[in-house]
Amino acid sequence: MRRIPQYAALLVYLVFLGFPLVWLLSTALKTPQEMASLDPAWIPREPTLANFAAAFGEQDLVGAGLRSLVVALASAFLTVAVALPAAYALARYQGVLKRIALGWVLVSQVFPFILIIIPLFMVMRELDLVNTLAGLVAVHVTFTLPFALWMLQGYVRSVPRELEEAASVDGAGRMRAIVSVVAPLLAPGVVATLLFSFISSWNEFLFALVVLKDPDVMTLPLTLVRFTGPEGVARLGPLAAASLMATIPSLIFFAIIQRRLRSGLMAGAVKG
Amino acid sequence: MRIKSALAAVAVVALAAACGSGGGDTGDSSGGSGEPVKLDFLSLAWQKESVEANKAIVEEWNKANPEIQVTYVQGSWDNVNDQLVTSFEGGDAPDVFHDDSPALAGFASKGYLLDLKDKLPASLQNDIPQAAWDTVTFDDGSGDQGVFGVPFLQESQVIIANKKLLTEAGVRMPTPAEPWTWNEFADASKKLTKGDTYGVAWPMKSPVNKVLNLALNFDGTFFQTAGGKTTVKVGPEEKAVLQRIHDQLYKDKTADPAALGMGTADPLPGFFADKYAMLPVGVYLRQQVAEQAPDGFEWVTLPPLKGTTSNQGAVSQTLSVSADSEHQEQAIQFMSFFLNGKNQARLAKGDWLLPTSQEAASDPSITGQEDGWDVATASAKDLVVAPFLKVNGYDEWKSKVATPVLQEFFANKVTLDEAAKRLVEEGNEVLERYQR
Amino acid sequence: MWVLLLPALVPVLIFSVGPLLYGISLAFTDAESGRNHVTSFAGLDNFAALLGDDDFWQSMQVGMIWAVSVTALQFLASLGLALLLNERLALRGVARVLAMVPWAMPPVVIGLMWRLVYHPDAGIVNSTLGTDINWLADFTWALPAVIVMGVWSGMPQTTVVLLAGLQTVPRELYEAGAMDGAGTWRRFWNITLPQLRPVIVAITSLDFVWNFNQFSLVYVLTQGGPGGRTRLPMLFAYEEAFRYGFFGYAAALGVAIVVVVLALLGVYLWRQLREAS
Repeated sequence: MRRIPQYAALLVYLVFLGFPLVWLLSTALKTPQEMASLDPAWIPREPTLANFAAAFGEQDLVGAGLRSLVVALASAFLTVAVALPAAYALARYQGVLKRIALGWVLVSQVFPFILIIIPLFMVMRELDLVNTLAGLVAVHVTFTLPFALWMLQGYVRSVPRELEEAASVDGAGRMRAIVSVVAPLLAPGVVATLLFSFISSWNEFLFALVVLKDPDVMTLPLTLVRFTGPEGVARLGPLAAASLMATIPSLIFFAIIQRRLRSGLMAGAVKG
Repeated sequence: MRIKSALAAVAVVALAAACGSGGGDTGDSSGGSGEPVKLDFLSLAWQKESVEANKAIVEEWNKANPEIQVTYVQGSWDNVNDQLVTSFEGGDAPDVFHDDSPALAGFASKGYLLDLKDKLPASLQNDIPQAAWDTVTFDDGSGDQGVFGVPFLQESQVIIANKKLLTEAGVRMPTPAEPWTWNEFADASKKLTKGDTYGVAWPMKSPVNKVLNLALNFDGTFFQTAGGKTTVKVGPEEKAVLQRIHDQLYKDKTADPAALGMGTADPLPGFFADKYAMLPVGVYLRQQVAEQAPDGFEWVTLPPLKGTTSNQGAVSQTLSVSADSEHQEQAIQFMSFFLNGKNQARLAKGDWLLPTSQEAASDPSITGQEDGWDVATASAKDLVVAPFLKVNGYDEWKSKVATPVLQEFFANKVTLDEAAKRLVEEGNEVLERYQR
Repeated sequence: MWVLLLPALVPVLIFSVGPLLYGISLAFTDAESGRNHVTSFAGLDNFAALLGDDDFWQSMQVGMIWAVSVTALQFLASLGLALLLNERLALRGVARVLAMVPWAMPPVVIGLMWRLVYHPDAGIVNSTLGTDINWLADFTWALPAVIVMGVWSGMPQTTVVLLAGLQTVPRELYEAGAMDGAGTWRRFWNITLPQLRPVIVAITSLDFVWNFNQFSLVYVLTQGGPGGRTRLPMLFAYEEAFRYGFFGYAAALGVAIVVVVLALLGVYLWRQLREAS
């Protein structure tokens, strides 16, 4: 019985956060006539698959989706691989370097992104990275790093130092202590960071827009805006259908990975 | 540990794939002997029919010109400015790109664009009237006038109306030969307003261009130039249209104030449900109306309103060549083919806009009665170059001064005189910045 | 220490530090876009002009209201959700996935969707509440309306981060707490919250920075209107740089934003660290 208010609260949250998915689905199945109705219905009166046909027929959604997937996976895993050691160092050591690093993390997040884009573009051109997916990955990794560092060092700090020290006193050695005690406790944080990096790369638009030029390297967000026109007018049906297809991989990725948000603790408990 | 090894594997595979699919080819074209010249063409077409027309024309060109191969790249209106500014500043801009004349005004003075004066073939030059060329003729930043694009599609403001409600109200049907005056429009709106129905909805999310283009009906220009200095002017001519729209909202109560914040296409649900009888909108909205109207819904396109004149300010959609293009001659050849009369008719039809080409304007595919094409195409004769196009700093005036002031005025928060005063005083401060 | 930092340092040095320093240095010049302009050193002119610019002050004010309220509401709502998702409820996995929807949705559709939500004729807000308000064009309601959208769109990140943080709290602490006979509320207040503090500090400060820097979602909804009521500072900087081409002035604006945000964050972080120790 104690659970009832909790379920009610959860329901409210889910309706608030999840209704767009229903809306996307419902819009994607509607005819243009029905979309312009004054009292929109959640369930389409004459469901149609025409929007999906248009979305897939007119744009290379599958190709763009695969390229986006490659870029997002590469960005996510590279970001974490690069950020994790650095975050550990930042959390466990004091010093000038740490202050500089954390200062940079904040400044780079605060300074308007758009003012960096032109010099960055020139750097990319020098390195011959314009119009390549590798270049896009490099940029996504660089610009997700501040977040990853900042969050991961927070997680590392929340692992009590005594745990780590206790383990290394046992004669296990620092590295062993980190691997066997700290790593499992960090798993949820790593998963959260992976997820963040994946989704921000998957959705990233502005960089992809200026870096990628040829139709055969374009990523999914670039493809989606082709259903929109000036002044916010859009071909809502095909856009909704394509967006639904673009939303699902992120959700699947999350569904696969979300168990890890728990498993870290379990592993830690077993070993502890 | 499973995460870590998976991590390593995926990262390696993904990176290899990323490098493999993208690396090396930077899209540069050498143009050496034997190698075909490669051109990038950035298009902003987004309607289905229009994208198809664009692709088809590019394909025809590529087939007929094996030595000049064009890559069709699709961009989007919302982001094209960011994309172009970055590539102009950083290098690597597309050879040929699609944009509109307000954007070109800025690009021209910054030296990003190729001056096309005396470089275009006579056939193209003569097929497009001078009024349209005026919309792409700008100062090149050093005081000389140049032609910085080829204008090909234009938009006029028409009125899309519910035929059944018009007939019931017994108002006179206007024709291109005898259009409504603003007074007749106000009267018709009154007759159409009853019960839950408003005579008209003014979607004014971006009010400035619309108001300025319509203001020419009463000779309102909003800007004046004297002694090489441009200033804002809001006199009786400029106030006429503002006052008339405001009267409909608050005096006659024939226009729904709730529609003010809407974008152009937002009033359509209300229009189809008899909530609004008429929509003053750009001709291109006919596409949405035709596609979305419920079965049996009858609508008509009414010609532009007449004040003291029928003039409307116009801007054009354009194709331009970037100054950095390595193959300017070939780019111009492609552009001339792309925009010949026959092709312009296809493009206009696909985007539901008006072609600048005289040849295209008489094409049977865009002069029939269906979907209001006859009225729409006829309205092209009233288009003159929008005066704001030649004003340095217009964009900032529009965004910082005019948009907020007009929004406050239409929301009935300030009087017309207060609004006029701010448009002029704050506006001149903004323009000052561009005249140093 | 160095070895651990090195992999992160390389991309940062190549792609971030250079462009960042270049961007900041523009603030002290009169740089403009275009090939016809010769850039020269301008000292603090841009900053002087900024201080006298009413639009700047208005947008900073709007930005402050927006960033503080979105961050605070986001945090409270996300904490509640994270606590619920951390409970052993049935269908928790599905709930977790559904809670990610705002985040997984491509930004292109988010703006369009919320425009339809707030649509005065066909929108679900007016039809649910029985009101007749033109939310996005109303001088009073536009800012609150976009704030709700802001909270919605940022909740998943915050929730995931807090949820991961909750998982990091060693269970022994709760067991000890339970033995002392502490109730739910006391355990939350005395164990969860202090343990979560580093994560909370990290995510709220980042949320604040992001929210302060947000503009594209709001821009799609309102274009800064009505009457500048939703013109966030970053939109202002964007327009100065990309629309009007005043790179120097925009960079000065960027630096001003950095100074203001860092000052606020400094106070916040310093207080948090002091309370923590």
